[in-house]
Amino acid sequence: MKISELETLDDFTCLQDEYEDAEISAGYTSDLLSDVMANAEDGSVLITIQAHKNTVAVSSLAGVSAIIICNNRPASDDMLAAAEKEGIAVFQTARNQFQTSALIARYLGE
Amino acid sequence: MLYRADFHIHSCLSPCASLEMSPDVIVKRAQAVGLNAIALADHNCTFNLPAFERVCKKEGIACLYGMEVTSTEEAHILCLFDQLDAAMELGSRVYGSLPDILNQPDKFGDQPIVDEQQDILGFAEKFLISASGYTVSALVGEVHELGGLIIPAHIDRQVYGIISQLGFLPDEAFDAVELTPRGKRKQAQHYPVVRNSDAHQLSHIGRAFTEFEIESLTVENLRAALWA
Repeated sequence: MKISELETLDDFTCLQDEYEDAEISAGYTSDLLSDVMANAEDGSVLITIQAHKNTVAVSSLAGVSAIIICNNRPASDDMLAAAEKEGIAVFQTARNQFQTSALIARYLGE
Repeated sequence: MLYRADFHIHSCLSPCASLEMSPDVIVKRAQAVGLNAIALADHNCTFNLPAFERVCKKEGIACLYGMEVTSTEEAHILCLFDQLDAAMELGSRVYGSLPDILNQPDKFGDQPIVDEQQDILGFAEKFLISASGYTVSALVGEVHELGGLIIPAHIDRQVYGIISQLGFLPDEAFDAVELTPRGKRKQAQHYPVVRNSDAHQLSHIGRAFTEFEIESLTVENLRAALWA
């Protein structure tokens, strides 16, 4: 699955589309960013409700290439500005973390 | 003057704190263990600060007016003021930003608002352990605008410390960072360090403290001493 395919999913809104399209190799679901930093794989999509600029900083360090914000949590402007600078795609969905993880797992064949 | 300060003490308003922790009892215990500067810092609420101010004035102990805010990232951030009205203003904003989840005393403990005679005036209704609507960055702006000090609490702890929540210590205009007694100086990076008790029960008051040699206990003097 490519990052750009996330834009086509039902209920998904792309909030930050300045990114280089690439294959998503894995998913990681967590709201504890120290855990994301320690365990997310390079090239993953991060599924979380943590919608602030530090999520982008951790994603950048962990090699996360796209962030999906669940429960339609609003993303702060400084988060989106940081994501644009880092070239990390940001999506928002009304689905919760479980539903989003289940959906993405189907696409990744997990 | 040499201040031996414990700026992180919870009162009975915090549901996780002992009900014996009324401002009056806290101040007397602090004096008994040799502190001459203290701050009350309940979770996301300042409703017990007016009684705390009156007791400190009566007993002649220097004090700051504080609150331990839970940021949106669920990191605990200590906010300290030398003016009660500024602390109450931040308290009102932070409490207002908490979700409308009410406390369930049988599960989490009571959140009593008390006066200086230890009489109960009422209860904080919202559950004070919830996360506020303020991100760390937004809180830095609010606290400095109101003239206070902003200090991430117990950054070396595995629960609710800013490093455990974010994975790193962000570059923000923090006035200092707080370490637990076991915390290592290097974890604070370039920030000044304070140590406090984070007392939730009487016997813990003063178990950690920080000393300041300053003329009087003001935010301005503390900031200058921290960065000296």
